[in-house]
Amino acid sequence: MIEIKNLKKFFDAPNGFNKKVHAVDGVSFNISKGETLGLVGESGCGKTTLGRTIIKLYEPDEGKIIFDGKDITDISPKKMLPFRKKIQMIFQDPYASLNPRMTVGDIIKEPMIIHKIPKNLHDEKLNYLLKLVGLNSEHSGRYPHEFSGGQRQRVGIARALAVEPEFIICDEPISALDVSIQAQIVNMLEDLQKELGLTYLFIAHDLSMVKHISNRVAVMYLGKIVEIADSSELYSNPLHPYTISLLSSIPVPDPDKSKKRNSIVLEGEVPSALNPPLGCNFHIRCPKAKPECKNFDMTLKDFGNGHLCSCKFV
Amino acid sequence: MNRNILSVENLSVSFFTSAGEVKAVDDVSFDVKKGEILGIVGESGSGKTATMLSILNLQGENGKIKSGSIKFHDNHDIIRGKNISMIFQDPMTSLNPVLTIGYQLEEALKRHKWNGNIRQRSIEILEKVGIVPAVQRLKQYPHEFSGGQRQRIMIAMSIICNPDLLIADEPTTALDVTVQAQILKLMKDLQIENGMSIILISHDLGVIAGEADRILIMYAGKIMEHGTVREIFYNPAHPYTKGLLRCVPNPDKPKERLIPIEGQPPDLLNPPKGCPYVKRCPNAMKICLENKPELNNLTETHGYSCWLGVKK
Repeated sequence: MIEIKNLKKFFDAPNGFNKKVHAVDGVSFNISKGETLGLVGESGCGKTTLGRTIIKLYEPDEGKIIFDGKDITDISPKKMLPFRKKIQMIFQDPYASLNPRMTVGDIIKEPMIIHKIPKNLHDEKLNYLLKLVGLNSEHSGRYPHEFSGGQRQRVGIARALAVEPEFIICDEPISALDVSIQAQIVNMLEDLQKELGLTYLFIAHDLSMVKHISNRVAVMYLGKIVEIADSSELYSNPLHPYTISLLSSIPVPDPDKSKKRNSIVLEGEVPSALNPPLGCNFHIRCPKAKPECKNFDMTLKDFGNGHLCSCKFV
Repeated sequence: MNRNILSVENLSVSFFTSAGEVKAVDDVSFDVKKGEILGIVGESGSGKTATMLSILNLQGENGKIKSGSIKFHDNHDIIRGKNISMIFQDPMTSLNPVLTIGYQLEEALKRHKWNGNIRQRSIEILEKVGIVPAVQRLKQYPHEFSGGQRQRIMIAMSIICNPDLLIADEPTTALDVTVQAQILKLMKDLQIENGMSIILISHDLGVIAGEADRILIMYAGKIMEHGTVREIFYNPAHPYTKGLLRCVPNPDKPKERLIPIEGQPPDLLNPPKGCPYVKRCPNAMKICLENKPELNNLTETHGYSCWLGVKK
């Protein structure tokens, strides 16, 4: 359904000197219909930029975005409108992504107006959507500040669903919520997927939640995908040293197991994307790094069953 | 190990806002023993931070300790200072951006009249938390450090006077998992080395499971359950604790549907008359609506406050 080929997005560095921030640096993957692809990585690795570039909130610098067989990389904003209807986004911060001066009803109706859905259908749709996300029609006259974080995220989801999209980019939809509320939202996203046949790109840094919701998971580091596989395969048999250390540092809610586990604590932090390391971009922090890694171009190799990994020594 | 260094008894704290009185902490009692890590788990608004701020007498102008006592080493006096220190959640906003970190580290030493070489102590402590080369880095400003490094500096600052108790309020929530692992390891190493006690506040049950010796579960300003880490994780008694443990996916187990806790936490402007959890509790009974449950002790270390299982 969605095909991304060698997508690149660079930003100009704040103080010039012709330097570029390599936010997304040659990413390729595809997502088939009805699937959830999880995208994990540390902050600053380019997850959000990738999500926003796919929906063309940022113009890509290189590469192709193919949606339903049509190349949407270079089409004009006007021609993009029908695709925007099919691709929607749920944002991270339910406090910042809703206009505080609009009522919930107006917030959810706004995309319907933009996409010219006949006016007589609006109210009926609004009630249906509110019910779908577990709110009720009395809520439509209220303002965002009258709601809790979890309820606001429900409003954000209803807004995304208002134009009947096929593909939703969920950019950290639960990371601002409390644990007990996270499970409510995740269950709801799963139900909606089944009911409406949605396809998700689920961006998050909570690795255990990503495993739970995704069919496949892609691990991103400094603008590049280092490994991608079926979620159970990735968690039981990670290949890339970065994935291995990332998985070993997930805190497990089980005291005995967590005492037994040898977590690999990575040294240092993610290097600047302004000046990414040459060769394999992980070699500076990698516990298994060898001198050759400096000249390795990080192509993804196939290890069977769609398990791709970009480490030279696997 | 068994000596209490901090004991809090029947503490109630309210904040007075334009909308009315918010009962943030309601009749909370607990103690911290020497050399242990006490984990406090709770959702936002459950009173975790308010309790800690009151211990340090930092509850602010509109906050008021309504009742209860706080004893530190059997001493009732104001206990803020070099013996208790606190690390905050957000390392970006807890450092002063216009002062060098050297100045900020030395400030604590000067304030608490450190008798020794102040400069040398700053260098020593910065090396201990892994910020090298310390001599040069002392001259730098907070913006020259990454998030994880800033949290290391916060830790350095908080242990520079050798406190007996360190309160860490969500110290890794703003950090990535790989950096979180580094910071937690550092805290544990320092705790073993200095023999200090730590109160670790987190909403991440995984972090608490890995670090804490004992746990308090807080909800709506009250302690719902307390026990050792194994008692809480393997033998939870309170429906809220059970609910919390069920709603996080376990990465080591095959996929199952999550069981969320339905509903929202209560509004503390007018808290429910009975048990604060009654509206979300699958086991709620008539008595829960009317009367506040008492603390039931299961073992010497394990207790919960719920009407369930109480014989009349």
